[in-house]
Amino acid sequence: MAAAAPAIEIPAPGDATSARILRAITRTPINIVLVALGAAWLVPTIGLFITSILPASADASKGWWQIFSHPSLATWSNYNALFHNSGLITALKTTAYIAVGNTLLVVILGALAGYAFAWLDFPGRDWLFIGVIGLLVVPLQMALIPMFKLYDTFGLFDTWYGIALFHTAFGLPFAVFLLRNFFVGLPKDILESARIDGANEIVIFVRLILPLGLPAIASLAIFQFLWTWNDLLVALTFGQNTTPITVWIAGQLREFGTSIDIIAPASFISLVIPLCVFLAFQRYFVQGLLAGSVK
Amino acid sequence: MAAPPPTGQPGRLGRYLVGAFFLAPALFMLAVWMVYPAVYTIIRSFFGPTGFIGHWVGIANYKTLFTTATLTTAIKNNAIWVAVVPAMVTAVGLVFAVLTERIRWAVAFKTAVFLPMAISAFATGVTWRIMYQQDPNLGAINALGKVISGAFSPAGVLSTALPSTPSIQSSAGALVLKTPTHPGGVALLGLTGIAPDQVPKNAAQAVKPAPKPGDVVGTVWRDFKPGGGKAGVVETGELGLPGVTVELRNAAGKTIQSTKSKPDGTFDFVKVPAGTYNAAIGAQTFAKPFGGFAWLGPNLIVPSLLIAYIWIWAGFAMVVIGAGLAAMPRDVLEAARTDGATEWQTFRRVTVPLLMPVLSVVFVTMIINVLKVFDIVYALAPESEYAKANVIALAMYFTAFQGAGNFGVGSAIAVFLFLLVIPVLALNVRRFKREA
Amino acid sequence: MTRTRIVVVAVAAIATALFVAGLAGARTSSSTKAHQNQAVSGTITFDGIWTSSSGQVQFQDVINAFQKLYPKVHVHYKPVGNNLPTVLTTAVAGGHPPDMADIAQPGTIAQFAKEGKLKPITYAKSTMAKYFAPAWASLGTFSGKLYALPFKAANKSVVWYNVPAFTAAGVTPPKTFAQLLKDAQTIKSSGTPAYSIGGSDGWTLTDMFENIYLRTFGAAKYDQLSQHKIKWTDPSVTTALKTMAKIVGDTSNIYGGTSGALQYGFNDSVTNAFSSPAKAAMVFEADFVGGVITSSTKAKPKTGFNTFTWPSITPGPDASAVEIAGDLFVTFRDNPAIEAFVKYLATPQAAEIWAKQGGFGTGNHNVPASIYPDPITRATEAPILTAKSVVFDMSDNQPPAFGATTGSGEWGLFQTFLKDPTNISGIQQQLEAAAAAAYKK
Repeated sequence: MAAAAPAIEIPAPGDATSARILRAITRTPINIVLVALGAAWLVPTIGLFITSILPASADASKGWWQIFSHPSLATWSNYNALFHNSGLITALKTTAYIAVGNTLLVVILGALAGYAFAWLDFPGRDWLFIGVIGLLVVPLQMALIPMFKLYDTFGLFDTWYGIALFHTAFGLPFAVFLLRNFFVGLPKDILESARIDGANEIVIFVRLILPLGLPAIASLAIFQFLWTWNDLLVALTFGQNTTPITVWIAGQLREFGTSIDIIAPASFISLVIPLCVFLAFQRYFVQGLLAGSVK
Repeated sequence: MAAPPPTGQPGRLGRYLVGAFFLAPALFMLAVWMVYPAVYTIIRSFFGPTGFIGHWVGIANYKTLFTTATLTTAIKNNAIWVAVVPAMVTAVGLVFAVLTERIRWAVAFKTAVFLPMAISAFATGVTWRIMYQQDPNLGAINALGKVISGAFSPAGVLSTALPSTPSIQSSAGALVLKTPTHPGGVALLGLTGIAPDQVPKNAAQAVKPAPKPGDVVGTVWRDFKPGGGKAGVVETGELGLPGVTVELRNAAGKTIQSTKSKPDGTFDFVKVPAGTYNAAIGAQTFAKPFGGFAWLGPNLIVPSLLIAYIWIWAGFAMVVIGAGLAAMPRDVLEAARTDGATEWQTFRRVTVPLLMPVLSVVFVTMIINVLKVFDIVYALAPESEYAKANVIALAMYFTAFQGAGNFGVGSAIAVFLFLLVIPVLALNVRRFKREA
Repeated sequence: MTRTRIVVVAVAAIATALFVAGLAGARTSSSTKAHQNQAVSGTITFDGIWTSSSGQVQFQDVINAFQKLYPKVHVHYKPVGNNLPTVLTTAVAGGHPPDMADIAQPGTIAQFAKEGKLKPITYAKSTMAKYFAPAWASLGTFSGKLYALPFKAANKSVVWYNVPAFTAAGVTPPKTFAQLLKDAQTIKSSGTPAYSIGGSDGWTLTDMFENIYLRTFGAAKYDQLSQHKIKWTDPSVTTALKTMAKIVGDTSNIYGGTSGALQYGFNDSVTNAFSSPAKAAMVFEADFVGGVITSSTKAKPKTGFNTFTWPSITPGPDASAVEIAGDLFVTFRDNPAIEAFVKYLATPQAAEIWAKQGGFGTGNHNVPASIYPDPITRATEAPILTAKSVVFDMSDNQPPAFGATTGSGEWGLFQTFLKDPTNISGIQQQLEAAAAAAYKK
């Protein structure tokens, strides 16, 4: 590469104030733009939150920004009413069982299959893999009626594990796709030497692949957890007494009446846990999701 | 690609078994929960609405699919979604990812933009429904619009007013008393449709003034008392409208004088030369306040949905592309910069091509998601606009599960959706083969 | 002599024994009535539309009272909310329906009955005959068998108005439709739009049409149209639509205009009319509007809101007929526990438990009007029993594809009518085409 005079001076650390000011000036517009964009992105969510701390009559008559001129209207009564409803706690527990349960299963089965497609050699492997990721296109609605009949026969109806299994199956194509791509990018030599050393596949899988694949696995877990936490349709169809939080919220809606004083706070409560999961695993998420695409 | 089996490994059968052990659980679940229902639905699509065996209808359901107006609208809408959303989401995600590289508070920004992904589709629909309300008092976007438009074209003080008698007629937004007046005459401008709280605080009982020679006098007042009262007649209990600008127009329609009404509604055009005139109230008094865009109306419902959907998924794109950026080799970028390329050139010629694999992952994922889009349309669009905002997955839901419960056509729609996504799948496969 | 005495003593003994046995038997049966029935046991699953903020608590009170009488039976109520039709359809199609469900549309019930998914409740016939007029039983009768119990009824011939708005305009509740139109203009002149229409929910529009048709042509013709014995292209429909256009076509008198009417749902239409200051003066809808007002606005009864009966159009015996909608209970299985519950629900005691809490109307004529907790509730619920003629919500009676599908059929077409109230013949043809298609199936 021709060593021409650098167009942009890369200042050394501890440089002159003028250089630092120059950097700040070029950064400031970006900062301003991003602050504005970030704020704009938050407005709808903030609106939802404010709606949840206003009484129903206030929500119906004026927009939520009235809180800035009448801060005394704010009240926690909507949240109080929700928490006094024991159904909410049960619903959150059920949601946790379903979400955690199916995420664990998706991760395990997906990792097993992903490893097989990446590092095991058997005839028809590539075509089978294409078939599996082809299932990405099957819409959820297609499976509702046939599975309903099947569940009834096997007694899986109205159980949290029945719902969890449904989610597991629908999460597998993406999981296999993602993990297989990531595993393919792992250094060949480590695996080679482990095989030469005589380790069998299971040992390799548990001792090598899982630890190395942690970033991708973590990001898969977040996505799967998020998607199943917020599902409504499957739980509504396959549950009767088993109600996760989404079904519970839907069941609180008044037949005739604006239910915003229930939907808004309940949605916020429901939002907190996936958000915490996201923040906790943010690191892995950023690293791992891209595995295999950028070599 | 897989490593060739090293020496010491079991033979062919052994490899099958190992493969089977790793794959069996996943393949079993996929076979039962996805393959079986898919096949079932395909077969079901050739049968009638409620019965299964013995109700063969052949391709009649598919014919219905392409001839029913609501379904063809759904197909058209999905085409719009596919054309707009994946590109927009990828572009917005790319811009955000690039910009957040330069700032220190990237995590906070990413959290803010990613937050919508954590909210359930139902709650998102409700949130944006509130934002999109047409009434500027209730909908955030239109409230902002009202503030902006109020700065440029403020609303008139009597925006809802209507004439109380047929002798007052609307003309280019102004209200004109068609009965001609002459100097020494009295012009009565009675208005209705004014809410009591719109009447200015200093209003007094309306008075019909005595005629003055050489002047044109008159009253502008709220011609209403409980029960209606007599139209066009100043009665007790009816308030005058002070501070209204009244114009005196000559026969050609040109305003030659204007004056403001007093607390009792009376006004006085002094020393008017002889001739025929019409009293009028100018259009600016009746300027309508910003009524708000009908975001949830038939014309804007699809763009409104697209905006809400992009709001949700831009975070996904940003995080994924951001990860790709973080994984990019720095030396190539530095080399480009050293070679004298500007930021924009570096971005266009180096960054974007290197990011292509990532961008295509995002783009293809979005295409598949958008073809299956359901929750946001279900939660956000008002009932009256379902027909206009219809998408394939929503049509399937309504056909199969509501009202009629036509599982035959519902299954046909599901199969059609399945077929639509297959080309996208082929794209994915080709990419996969290229990588391999 | 000895033989006779033996015979007399024997007869006396037998008689006494019989008498005592009879007494004991009588005591047992009466004490069974007052005490609990330990013989019947089981679990009943019940899918209902009422949620914790709209009736579940009251219905649970009814269940609790039943369970006191039948302590070995447990009723499990599942609140499904507005998703009930979907959930039920899937459950029925999948072969796993609940034991009982609450369905508001006789049309849907008819379809389930035709497919053989429901169990008849013939055992409840005599109980129903005791407490309900025959018309109520025929509501739930299809192909000659009784399938549904009309537990809860709603009076849809009610208009709710904003009292301060009416006072400011100087109008009083109109008795005739012509007076209503005049009053609406007066209200508009006073500065408030008269009508608050929630057209985004198509059923508010069909309700308006049905009340107009009922009051113009009477109950008999209403029923004919309801059963599709008259077509939607009939001149009577034209007249009714023209009358309806006098309301929905008066755009400047509707809050938000036509565009607003199409975007606002039922809830919004109520909150719009009863916010302060009022954005509109009246809402044409049923007795359940009261619940929305008390939960979502600050308006108070009598001073803030009140009701009047839907104005009459053609004078005559049906001038103040009442259109009702209702919650009908159906059974998907049959066992002694279910039978006991259904029979209990048909009694006035069951109805009164909810009625005295408000928000409940019934066709059970043994429920006295005095049980309702306040005057406005009494004014809206009592006519269900006292009106000379009662008809059922027409759109609910249609096959669901026509009468109860979001965005299409009756609901969708009336929304189209709202967009252009001048195109009457066009709408009639589309209505007839949709109806014919639905009835053919």
